[in-house]
Amino acid sequence: MSQAELAAALGVSRQTIISIENGRYLPSLPLGFGIARFFDLTVDKMFDPDEEEAGT
Amino acid sequence: MTSFIRPRLRKPLLRGIALLGIAAAWAIGSPAWGLAIVIAVVAVGQTVYWYIWAGEDTDESALLASRADERQKQVGLQARALAGTVALAAAYIGLVITLAVKIADAWPFAALLAVTGFAYLLGLSSYGSGEPGPESEIAAGYQTRSPVGS
Repeated sequence: MSQAELAAALGVSRQTIISIENGRYLPSLPLGFGIARFFDLTVDKMFDPDEEEAGT
Repeated sequence: MTSFIRPRLRKPLLRGIALLGIAAAWAIGSPAWGLAIVIAVVAVGQTVYWYIWAGEDTDESALLASRADERQKQVGLQARALAGTVALAAAYIGLVITLAVKIADAWPFAALLAVTGFAYLLGLSSYGSGEPGPESEIAAGYQTRSPVGS
């Protein structure tokens, strides 16, 4: 799936998807829930700061 | 009022009209009214340019075309805040310089400072107040409750 397709599905811009991927922008709760729902995950699985820190 | 105008055209058009206002004021107030025609031509040209630019795939274009998402709106707010801060600083510096050089010319800077300060206070009162909740809860010390209905 391309960033543009994900952006269109979530109703945001491609630049916003890129910013979220790069960790430069934290999405709002509604958008966060939307992303989690889109990937069929829970929000805590999708945005787990501890997991991110462990991965870096 | 502007709902019948295409969203992509609204801001470019408003900015073009703003520049046309300057052209009209120049034509009325200045003997060199020919420059007003130049400003009017620039206003039309800039409106067309911004309309084309608003169709591109960038943050600036999204803001210009009134189709910004939540992050782009935040970027726009931060840019406006920076512009306000710079305007406030410029007004202050202008006031200090004119007070030192020629007091009679200082009032526009003082007025700008006053208006900017008032707008800041207005913003605080409009956007900054949380809802205190019922009186009984205030007396109880703002007990937190779950947003999920019980």
